[in-house]
Amino acid sequence: MNSCLFLLLVLLPGTAQAQQYDLLLKNGHVIDPKNRINSVKDVAILNGKIAAVADAIDASKSLKTVDVSGMYVAPGFIDIHAHFSGSPGAAIFPDSHTLRSGVTTAVDAGGTGWRNFPEFRKKAMDTALVRVLAWINIVGRGMDGRAGEQNAKDMDPRSTAAMVNSNRDRIVGIKTAHYDGPEWVAVERAVEAGKIANVPVMVDFGTFRKERPFQELVLRKLRPGDIYTHLYLNSVPMLDEKGRVLPYLFEARKRGVLFDAGHGQGSFLFRQAVPAVQQGFIADTISTDLHIGSINAGMKDMSVVMSKFLIMGVPLEEVIARSTWAPARAIHHEELGHLSVNAVADVAVFRVEKGDFGFVDSYKAGMRGTQRIVCELTLRDGRVAWELNGITRESWDKLGKYDSQGDSRWDATSEDGRNSRLPGAVPTAPAK
Amino acid sequence: MHLSSLLLCASALYAQTSYDLLLKGGHVIDPKNKINAVRDVAIRDGRIAAVAPNIPAAQGRKVVDVAGLYLTPGLIDLHAHVFAGTAGPMLAGGHTSIFPDAFALKSGVTTVVDAGSSGRRNFEEFKRTVVDRARTRVFVFLNIGGSGMTGEAQEQNVDDMDAKAAAELAMAHRDTIVGIKVAHYRGPDWRPVERGVEAGTLANIPVMIDFGEFRTERPFQELVLKKLRPGDIYTHAYYAPVPMLDDNGKVFPYLFEARKRGVLFDVGHGGAAFEFRQAVPAVRQGFVPDTISTDVHSGSINSGMKDQLNVMSKFLNMGMPLEDVILRSTWNAARVIRREQLGHLSVGAIADIAVLGVEKGKFAFVDSFGARMDGTQKLFAELTVASGKVVWDLNGRTRDHWDRLGKYQGLGEPYWDDSRGAARPMPAPASK
Repeated sequence: MNSCLFLLLVLLPGTAQAQQYDLLLKNGHVIDPKNRINSVKDVAILNGKIAAVADAIDASKSLKTVDVSGMYVAPGFIDIHAHFSGSPGAAIFPDSHTLRSGVTTAVDAGGTGWRNFPEFRKKAMDTALVRVLAWINIVGRGMDGRAGEQNAKDMDPRSTAAMVNSNRDRIVGIKTAHYDGPEWVAVERAVEAGKIANVPVMVDFGTFRKERPFQELVLRKLRPGDIYTHLYLNSVPMLDEKGRVLPYLFEARKRGVLFDAGHGQGSFLFRQAVPAVQQGFIADTISTDLHIGSINAGMKDMSVVMSKFLIMGVPLEEVIARSTWAPARAIHHEELGHLSVNAVADVAVFRVEKGDFGFVDSYKAGMRGTQRIVCELTLRDGRVAWELNGITRESWDKLGKYDSQGDSRWDATSEDGRNSRLPGAVPTAPAK
Repeated sequence: MHLSSLLLCASALYAQTSYDLLLKGGHVIDPKNKINAVRDVAIRDGRIAAVAPNIPAAQGRKVVDVAGLYLTPGLIDLHAHVFAGTAGPMLAGGHTSIFPDAFALKSGVTTVVDAGSSGRRNFEEFKRTVVDRARTRVFVFLNIGGSGMTGEAQEQNVDDMDAKAAAELAMAHRDTIVGIKVAHYRGPDWRPVERGVEAGTLANIPVMIDFGEFRTERPFQELVLKKLRPGDIYTHAYYAPVPMLDDNGKVFPYLFEARKRGVLFDVGHGGAAFEFRQAVPAVRQGFVPDTISTDVHSGSINSGMKDQLNVMSKFLNMGMPLEDVILRSTWNAARVIRREQLGHLSVGAIADIAVLGVEKGKFAFVDSFGARMDGTQKLFAELTVASGKVVWDLNGRTRDHWDRLGKYQGLGEPYWDDSRGAARPMPAPASK
């Protein structure tokens, strides 16, 4: 009996080894800033995790092999500023603009507060294929209209921190936003909640007022690791009269305050961004501020925002770093944002298209560029969640009278994946 | 001189010098008016003001060069699911539907028809939260089931399929409700189809059928040869259960017979309803769809369907001429829903316009079973104009370069530019 069990234990891994990997991406140019990889490598995946990254991995070892030569392979992009909660017509369905632009983790930026976060978690987070995390708003009802967002009486650090503590797998920090008053109360309560729960704070500074100068926000009020979002907003004191970046910004950065792009509908101007980037004041993290008002305007999606940094002269590896490993660290999710062996296999496969392209900022000024990031394939937990040109698929006329293709070991859009997303079916909750 | 003739002179002068928006040099494809040639298109007050070989640039207040691109009527997606809300994973008021502005405008679509997400009980909510707020024009096929696509139990409840009540609501909302939808029925009987047709007859509007489970008790042939009236629509034309090809791969004659009767066939691609092994042989043998549509919902946007242009590109690569692809995505759809003021570029028509490019290269497309088809052409939307205003601008074609604009503020005049993006605010719920 004992020896039987022993035999079984020995044999089981042995039989599994016949198919060592579920999915193998061959010949892609891997950019993995955390691990300082920037060269052609094969990437193998097993059970939703990175199993190997090496110069040449034998295709016969994998259930499914996809040739990605000519493309880049990066950790799935992490967008730390998006909006998935709130009314239809403001929020975006999480899977609709993320996966197609290589985003595998997106962080809702304060749409809900401690009063309505649980409902958001249940209805939107748990049913999305993209990994949805959240900044919780310091206002109890979150972004429930501009008037509600001014209600300092509903800014309760203790209740907010308590909600963080009971949802640590989903809530990454505290958000304060859209505050118009002359006092520091919104920022201070958010930082207080951040201290209690030991999480960072993300600040949208609302109306910029002389009673609470921006310089004081980033030089005194925020702690190292706290984030100011909407970096290239018109209102941010960015350049002196000669067009030089003001020194206090570098000082704030030295203190450890982080600066996030948070492009959105109104918060990204080339006349702020281009000179700043040229002088080395580049956003620590690249993010979209995705909502209905930004997806059809200059912002569009994560790959467009990343492309803007590329055409402003930021090297591709840097653009990737600020969209993967840097945001993973900013939200204290260091298990994400890289392709280390055993890391979650969230992967973006993309091309850099060459041509004559145009980009638009929040005041509707244009900028021409010759490069554009186009996402070809997105893997979430090791499974295909988006592909632009069917690179994982067999040609229909070689398949006879085929039925549903794909295998749920590598394909989240296979019949299993699809059925779980049809009305009436029980949604499959992502692993995390 | 009489005052009236003075006014006439003044207005003639105005007409000569001030079109609001002038699109120059595009290749116009306007199937209704049989135009397939390079033309300039001028817009005033949200309507087409002139279509001519050469309209001087001086006559446009805003002039946009669209040379090298196709200019077509704004696309009409006859089968969409846009009743987005926070009710959970369902098409009626849930996140299985997608808010129309989130996907339509960026793919050249200016009008969508919701295919039965709502029924008579939740139509008013749908109208208030989505139809009246979206910038995309939304029409509705009202579900014959009272609660629309709320869940399996409601969709199978024949007792709740009230033809008279549905017809009355449709007649009370003739501006919005353009037809009746029957969908997802699994039972062996004809009652849902019959009640749908009865409602359609009472209200004098067409019926769109999703045939649910195909059952021997109610053969598909009988649906299209007997049950449906001329002008009624079968959607999901290339779905695997549709009896399409005989053993020799020939399209069954009954399909042509049904078409001769006036029954219409719509693509309704969706997450599960489009197979190359059905579509390619059928299209080659002339059984082309009357209308090309998406069946857009959260389960189709990231799989083989993607968006209207991707579905249209499939037909282009199956050999359908571009003019035909446009016809079936504009004028044909407008006629089906009896909105003949849409879908063409006649002078005086509503100025809904798509400016499309055809990219040449190596592309591939995926069907609902996950099979691939290679292609060499792919449509993209460069510019979308809704009611005479720019609502999507992929490459900043309408924009000036930022470094020539000084310390610019918000650009783009409201007479041509509506790319700010936000939906209209949510009105207060009706008191009960």
